[in-house]
Amino acid sequence: MNPAATSSSLPEVAQPVLDVRSLSASYGHVEALRSVDISVGRGELVAVLGPNGAGKSTLLRAIMGLIPNHGEVLFQGNALTRRKPGAAATKGVVLVPEGRGIFGPMTVLENLELGAYSVGRDKKEVERRLTSVFGLFPRLKERFKQTAGSMSGGEQQMVAVGRAMMADPKVLLLDEPSLGLAPRVTGEILDTLGALSQSGLPVILVEQKAPLALQLACRAYLLSLGRIVATINPREVKSHDELAQYYFA
Amino acid sequence: MFKTAFGRQFFASVVSVVALSSAAQADDVFKVGISAGLTGYAATVDRAWSDGVQTAVDTLNAKGGIMGRKLEVVVEDNRSNPQEAVTVYRKMVSSDEVNLFASGCVSAGNAAAAPMVAKAEIPMILCSILPKDAAWAFTTLPPAGFEIEKRFEYLRDKTDIRKVGVLHDPTPYALLQKDVAQKVAATYGIEVVSVEAYKQDDADLSVQLSKMQAAGAGAVMKIGLGGTTLTAAKNLKQLGSPMLLLTSLEDLAVFKPVAEVLGDKFFFVASPSQVYEVYPDGGLKTAIGEFLEPWRAKFGDRDPNWASRGWDSIMLAAKAIEAGQSFEGSAIRDNLEKITGFQGTTGSYDMSAEKHQGISTNPFVVAQIIEGKVRIAQ
Amino acid sequence: MTSSPSTTLPEARSAVQTTRLPLATAAVWAVSAAIVGYALIFGGYAATIISFALIYAVFVSGLNVFMGLTAQVSFGQSAFAAIGGYSSAVLTTTYAWPPLAGMSAGLVFSLLAAWAIGFPTLRLKGHYLAMATLAIGLITYEIAVEWESVTQGYLGISGIPPLGIGPFEAVSDRQILVVLSVVVLVIAFAVKRIQHSRLGRSFAAVAGSEEAAATLGINVARTKLVSFLLAAGLASISGSLFVHVVGYVSPEVFGLHMVILAFSMVYIGGLGTVAGPLIGALIVSILPEVFRGMKDSQDLAYGIALILILIYAPKGIAGVAGAFDARRAA
Repeated sequence: MNPAATSSSLPEVAQPVLDVRSLSASYGHVEALRSVDISVGRGELVAVLGPNGAGKSTLLRAIMGLIPNHGEVLFQGNALTRRKPGAAATKGVVLVPEGRGIFGPMTVLENLELGAYSVGRDKKEVERRLTSVFGLFPRLKERFKQTAGSMSGGEQQMVAVGRAMMADPKVLLLDEPSLGLAPRVTGEILDTLGALSQSGLPVILVEQKAPLALQLACRAYLLSLGRIVATINPREVKSHDELAQYYFA
Repeated sequence: MFKTAFGRQFFASVVSVVALSSAAQADDVFKVGISAGLTGYAATVDRAWSDGVQTAVDTLNAKGGIMGRKLEVVVEDNRSNPQEAVTVYRKMVSSDEVNLFASGCVSAGNAAAAPMVAKAEIPMILCSILPKDAAWAFTTLPPAGFEIEKRFEYLRDKTDIRKVGVLHDPTPYALLQKDVAQKVAATYGIEVVSVEAYKQDDADLSVQLSKMQAAGAGAVMKIGLGGTTLTAAKNLKQLGSPMLLLTSLEDLAVFKPVAEVLGDKFFFVASPSQVYEVYPDGGLKTAIGEFLEPWRAKFGDRDPNWASRGWDSIMLAAKAIEAGQSFEGSAIRDNLEKITGFQGTTGSYDMSAEKHQGISTNPFVVAQIIEGKVRIAQ
Repeated sequence: MTSSPSTTLPEARSAVQTTRLPLATAAVWAVSAAIVGYALIFGGYAATIISFALIYAVFVSGLNVFMGLTAQVSFGQSAFAAIGGYSSAVLTTTYAWPPLAGMSAGLVFSLLAAWAIGFPTLRLKGHYLAMATLAIGLITYEIAVEWESVTQGYLGISGIPPLGIGPFEAVSDRQILVVLSVVVLVIAFAVKRIQHSRLGRSFAAVAGSEEAAATLGINVARTKLVSFLLAAGLASISGSLFVHVVGYVSPEVFGLHMVILAFSMVYIGGLGTVAGPLIGALIVSILPEVFRGMKDSQDLAYGIALILILIYAPKGIAGVAGAFDARRAA
């Protein structure tokens, strides 16, 4: 039986903020993403799960326009131009890239300020956003002068998420934020993401550690070999075994 | 603190070096400065030139110097680069306070430094072509036409060849010669049917040579120095070409392997010092003999061509100083302009206020290397 | 490097103000000033060396913006120095333009050339730009050699007028040194401003990670192009300064050796630092003179000295000074 049948029991997406339709992308001759449809609405946190090499990172990079792609990405109902890298970011679709992508030689503060790059010279606005990010991660406030490269993995991830929040995102995309982190730190960061989503921010979370993601997600897409093979309602997944079944379907 | 100590140390060394060199003078030697490309493309020529200058200075000093004043050579490597040349010229002007320059063949370097040297009122006698502003500069270089004319003369008098190709590199002296060749060919009843350029580091010249042969050339007039002469010879042999190869003046060491490839089809322009043994007797031969004695004592078989011009530069200066009874820069300059009929090793020099390139009679011969021996071509 | 953040929380700001003065960096500037001052007072041969060093400092400042601040590689900056230098030389001699006009025209030509090379290649990742710049350096050199009717080939162009505006001309060593020092200081100040501006932050972001920069809304290709144009512009100015100071230009001035020298200077001085290009240019220019007395061993001694500096100060002189200050401030 095809496990994808469970999708019928999912609640309807109210009004998707980001609606991805038949998105495909390839690296040279290798098709890494084949006609993917996903969406996220206000207050939702959706997870994209799948084994290594399934195309999860490719999906986020294609949405951001960082790699050549075709298909449609609707943001608040309008098509998002993805020809220029960086265009998505200025609209409010913000990615926390795999491996965090923080700037090691710069201080925490400089990293955060770069997050507000599209704000330009409006210092008041930058300061307002800083205050709210420091509220989210008090530890960053304590260490704002430290170079980001000298911080622990968890703190660096906070810088990465904080920097993304500085862009005042309308949709937040995260690529494996738990990578290489201790479980306790991972929990801390995921809790923050949960809270952000609760406050209304749409979040797409790519994760390999499925159980963690399923605790938070209202919906999960299972990606395999570049295709969505299942859409899961986390509340209906009862055991580890059942999840494994999706992975190997 | 390590860092600042470092900085101070550098600064201290600079101070001491500059201070030392300015303290080292004030005695009464007559200083001859040489800006020479001891490294870089001009190395072969400029090392020979410098050694020639040094040989002349040693010879004069052995006789008690000029008017009882000893000479001293200051040589600086300009790396065959004009910017370095300006630096070393400036060093020799300000720190060494040289009285005269006898500089090498890096034309660009001499041209770059010429205005500054003129401002310091120091005469310069060069190996290279004259800078544009040549009020204080003189050269021992034979006019560009001489090497060309000798070859045309030879072709006209000794062969049936009436069509030639000109193969040249982009150096200023080669360009000047190329222009002369095109201008004067007709007066020798010869037609330049093809002009081809190459670069000093080209590894194959067969395209240029084939074009010349196709244009009907019976001989290749090659203008330019270095390994390309051997390349041209090899290419001619590969092409099975009947064309003769006539090259410009060069270090004899370069020519020996060329002669092995082309045999009696290979000719070159030689300066009198290179064919001293077979050169006809006369004033020129005597002058060369005076130079060759100390030169061979020190350097043996080494090619004497450029060195002999370095020697000439010092002898010209000595003549000018003695004529004016003065070591003053402006006096030397004025008296250099008055030199006429001076028998040097490369020919006889006639200077004037308008003419700072002194060699006026063509001293060259066309020569061959047959069975390993240099001969004047018959 | 410690830097006062442009926007901080009030508590944060007071913390920044209590940091101590960057003494080591100040020392680097003081040493540079002392070296230039020495040349100013004593003149002579030192003046020539320091003048060339200051001209190189301008060139290296451009390279430093592109390589240090933006982490890109160009082997062909000598091309823009050549365009600037030859424009100045030809326009002021053949066409009798005033020096400043010639220099400005050279700047425009250089920027156009840089744009034409940078626009297509900077959109590509990898070493396309480095390769393209290497080619453009060689091509420009060849043009300078071959385009005889304009450049006079290897013969070079002489009789180029000195630097000057209207009736004021910098002719003596001291005047030239003063003009060049002012130019270098203005450029260092501008680089400092750029480093802490929005543009400088985007350079740093691109240097850190192009993809991360793109996710922040930075137009990576345009940022790299702006950096390239800045570098080309400074190279062009240095080329113009050179020909006016020496009064002569020939192709060899802008050969590959210029690139090699500039690379040594930027690494010895400290990649990505403000004082680096100046101290690097001064040291690399002075070292060979310190060892000149050693004749044939000069190159060897010079090479050993460079290697020793890079071993004991791998971040360059100004880099080490910056790290020292940062440690004291922490």
